[in-house]
Amino acid sequence: MKFDIVSAPSYSLVELNLNAGESVKVEPGAMAWMDTTIKAKTEMEGGLFAGFQRKMAGESFFLNTYTAEGGSGTIGIAPGYSGDIIKRELNDETLYMERGAYLCHVGNIETSATWEGFSGTFAEGMFGLRVSGTGLLFFGSYGDVQEVEVDGSYTVDNGYAVAWEKNLDYSIGRSGRSIRSFLFSDQLICHFHGHGKLWVQTRSPRNLAAWVHPFRRVKQKSD
Amino acid sequence: MNVKIDTEGAFGSALVTLESGEKFVSEAGAMYRASPNMEISVESRKKKDEGMWGALKSGIKAMFAGESFFLSSYTPNDGQAGEVGLAPTHQGEVLSVKVGPEVWICSGGSYLGSSGSITLDTQYQGLSKGMFSKEGLVFVQAAGEGDLLVNGFGRISSVDVSGGITIDNGHLIAFTEGLEYTISKAGSGWISSMMSGEGLVMNFRGQGKVLVQSHDPSRLGGALGPLLPPREG
Repeated sequence: MKFDIVSAPSYSLVELNLNAGESVKVEPGAMAWMDTTIKAKTEMEGGLFAGFQRKMAGESFFLNTYTAEGGSGTIGIAPGYSGDIIKRELNDETLYMERGAYLCHVGNIETSATWEGFSGTFAEGMFGLRVSGTGLLFFGSYGDVQEVEVDGSYTVDNGYAVAWEKNLDYSIGRSGRSIRSFLFSDQLICHFHGHGKLWVQTRSPRNLAAWVHPFRRVKQKSD
Repeated sequence: MNVKIDTEGAFGSALVTLESGEKFVSEAGAMYRASPNMEISVESRKKKDEGMWGALKSGIKAMFAGESFFLSSYTPNDGQAGEVGLAPTHQGEVLSVKVGPEVWICSGGSYLGSSGSITLDTQYQGLSKGMFSKEGLVFVQAAGEGDLLVNGFGRISSVDVSGGITIDNGHLIAFTEGLEYTISKAGSGWISSMMSGEGLVMNFRGQGKVLVQSHDPSRLGGALGPLLPPREG
């Protein structure tokens, strides 16, 4: 199997070249194009419960499996957002990621939901995704995705954390200490603690949506 | 202080490294990452010598400039160096320019951040000019000594002006002080101006630099807005 990430970081897409018999598991909707030698199969990865857990984490209930049959073939896989894609080889390791960040994987990797507690409710929902095992993982997000080596602690605006290694933990707080920042609702931020890698994105879909809002037509009585 | 711009293309961002005692300010909410020793606080826009009332007036002026009332400020608080990452809302490039050799005047939505040593003043353009400007009534003047960060929707180009240049006001990011400008219709009359789709343009005269963005955010907003359900009030 060979792969290439093309058009990074603005409009990244993964091109996977599968040998006959090899397969890749993909987030539904992420397959952009593929050779005719590649056959799709939809299954509930890990059974009903794991499917349900994934659903709660903002990912799809099902994962699609694409297998090259009777010859090699190439498949193009792209996330819903325009942005960067990160490749990560897992060797009996665990990563946590925010909802929507998972793209696809090759190998023996399991995905399941994790309870992030109430702290997560402010931006990304209460569930995150736990990705663990051995294999090749691709994930991405809106904007450029930057790797940060956390040594002790690090601060990220809430909604900009994409994924982090198992050894990192986080808590949510407000940025300023003064009462003024409380009154004028400054941003909520995540404080990561521990030692390990953290990935952050540089654009926020939420901010974009908030910017578009004033351009909407104002509702009239006749509507 | 060191300002590093990451990635060309759609998703530019700036990573600012501050030594102990240095300060950087940004549009509120532009911070997406920071080292743990970075003290993040909120300040309203004001000049050094103005009191409470002056601060309020500055804040109101900033709101007219299409910016939030408050700025966020960043200072390392443990005697060590620290870093803060800043990114805009839109897809596009981020550019750092030096203030000092020149005073820069930045359009409302294009200001991302600046060194603490830079004095920001929101400039009221006068009714006849500002009323027609899509960029809002007010520009931000950055004077002093340091770095100014601007963001563009799409690609940012720097244009050396000697003589004159005409720029659609939706594409203006910033210009150096000393350039004179007038706002006018693109065509010779209102009808031809409207038919050309260009609306209003800014005519710069003199010697200086102008930063322009390849795309006009308000046109994206104008295209998306009517496709969305109407909003309440």
